[in-house]
Amino acid sequence: MTLAFDRLRKQYGQVVAIDDVTASFAPGLIHGVIGPNGAGKSTLINMTAGSYSVSSGSITLDGKRLDTLKKYQIANSGVARTYQNIRLFDQMTVLENLEVCFYPVDVAGTWKEVMWPPYASARRERRREKCMEILRFFDLQGYADSDAGSLPYGRQRMLEIARALVPNPRVLLLDEPAAGLNHHETAELTARLAAQRLPDRITIIVEHDMDLVMSLCDNIIVMHHGKLLFQGTPAEVQASPDVQLAYLGTANDIDDIRAAAQDRRAQLGIRARRRS
Amino acid sequence: MSVAETLTAARPRSGRTVSFLFLAIAITLIVATPFLPNYYVRVINSLLIYILLGIGLNIVIGYAGLLDLGFVAFYAVGAYSYALLASPQLDLHWPFLLILLVAACLGAATGILLGIPVLRLRGDYLAIVTLGFGEIIRIIINNMDWLTGGPKGIPRLDKASILGIQVARPIDFFWLLLVTVLVVGMLVWRLERSILGKAWAAIREDQDAARGIGINTTNAKLAAFATSATIGSIAGAIFAASQRFVSPESFTLQESVLIVLMIVIGGIGNILGIVAGAAILMLLPEVLREFAEWRILFLGLLMIFLIIVRPAGIVPRSFGPDKLIRRLFGK
Ligand SMILES: Nc1ncnc2c1ncn2[C@@H]1O[C@H](COP(=O)(O)OP(=O)(O)OP(=O)(O)O)[C@@H](O)[C@H]1O
Ligand SMILES: [Mg+2]
Repeated sequence: MTLAFDRLRKQYGQVVAIDDVTASFAPGLIHGVIGPNGAGKSTLINMTAGSYSVSSGSITLDGKRLDTLKKYQIANSGVARTYQNIRLFDQMTVLENLEVCFYPVDVAGTWKEVMWPPYASARRERRREKCMEILRFFDLQGYADSDAGSLPYGRQRMLEIARALVPNPRVLLLDEPAAGLNHHETAELTARLAAQRLPDRITIIVEHDMDLVMSLCDNIIVMHHGKLLFQGTPAEVQASPDVQLAYLGTANDIDDIRAAAQDRRAQLGIRARRRS
Repeated sequence: MSVAETLTAARPRSGRTVSFLFLAIAITLIVATPFLPNYYVRVINSLLIYILLGIGLNIVIGYAGLLDLGFVAFYAVGAYSYALLASPQLDLHWPFLLILLVAACLGAATGILLGIPVLRLRGDYLAIVTLGFGEIIRIIINNMDWLTGGPKGIPRLDKASILGIQVARPIDFFWLLLVTVLVVGMLVWRLERSILGKAWAAIREDQDAARGIGINTTNAKLAAFATSATIGSIAGAIFAASQRFVSPESFTLQESVLIVLMIVIGGIGNILGIVAGAAILMLLPEVLREFAEWRILFLGLLMIFLIIVRPAGIVPRSFGPDKLIRRLFGK
């Protein structure tokens, strides 16, 4: 019962972004995907979620092919994701951003919702309750009625993760959830993600923040030039000379990797501020 | 106070006064209409028809965010449904309510027919293709003389009657239209607040992210096109019954553009905005009758003025019917 990539490939014209990657992800664990810029981490997430097509190979969840499904069908098979560049429904309220995730379950009752007010309010109340619970978990309840686009950057990141959690997904894909967050926010995020480690959930986190990855993940995959370079526990990854080489060319110290992550965080911080 | 609280508190309290004004004008109009000369009743009737059309088109444009410039095609489908099923043209004389049902179904079917080929299009491309669709329907009507009477149209339509009560005078149509607008308006508003309405909003905001949370965007968009077309078609059938004459002239591109303008000026995505937009676009020409040749200029100036001063329209999306009710009756 796993998520599995089998000889997965992705090519953009001549560029090979993912080169024969075979890997499997066990439930109950948090899997980290790390690697230098352009290694193909986001491409992996995008293919799994159906945002990009697969060039060859396959992706299966519990033995069922995902890569042949449409994006919305993949979502309805229990795969939820966030994006490297936040993608919220900006002009909908924070609460609505979560409520709309009930569409696949509730859409069949649309007619009844329109014609029969008591049914509609019961449904709305049920949706509201479940969503408010998630908002409280992320300490976003005070923003429930604000437009999602008006939230500070860090809150938007949290909201996007909250939205991904509404359908209680089997597979949770997070693309750089800590990008642009300050130390305090990153610590909050780490604690919340740790609390969301459920026995049958497969969580995959793409992240440059090594502190977060090392403290949160049970299993780490290192990508380099589209290839799977190394797979192991945080300790094994830190001890591997290959990984250090891949990351920094010549460096041989995990502190240098950290420094690189800091650097990137600073860049993203600037981008985030410009955005708001 | 958190940022969120500050934001909600910032909404002006003057909304209450405006709300009362809005309600007062509406009630005065409704109460006064039966005492007005026929000419004014007709003006108000056409105002109501435009509100109905606006409510329909707003589903596609305002809720789902798809710019449809061919809406008048559905209006035509409804009008010609009545004209063909209740006139000497084919010597058919069906009852009005039955035709209304047929028109609604035909409208939905045409809506889906248009929806399927344009599903992948967005923005300008969608606008151009739907515009073409509207023109095609008009040209077909123009050229099928044997059925539609061509440019001459179909005259001598039956007088409508509902369950034995004749609906013929302008004031009869006023009541019919008022009830229709209220019922359709309420259902559409409930639709907007339903889970499907939220999905339309998500598609409008970010179609790809909407798919990412499991929304079958194809189905949701087709539902929008179908509902919108149904309302357009119903408006058309009532229009034909009240004019007792149809011709292709009533279904030009200009009509589509007028309805879009109404939505944009009034407040995109908001039923209250449509009422305001329709009132301005319909009453402006009446008030400015003397300056008929300057009308388009005034309209242009009004547009520019609004885009600068109130880019979200006269009544913005955030001030929906629920807000109106809350402002009026406290809490
Ligand atoms: N849509 C695209 N079209 C063409 N090439 C692409 C596209 N998306 C990604 N690539 C290329 O594929 C490779 C992998 O990109 P990807 O975004 O997966 O990297 P990443 O590991 O997520 O990097 P980062 O850490 O910067 O987010 C890069 O060389 C990138 O230029
Ligand atoms: Mg990336």
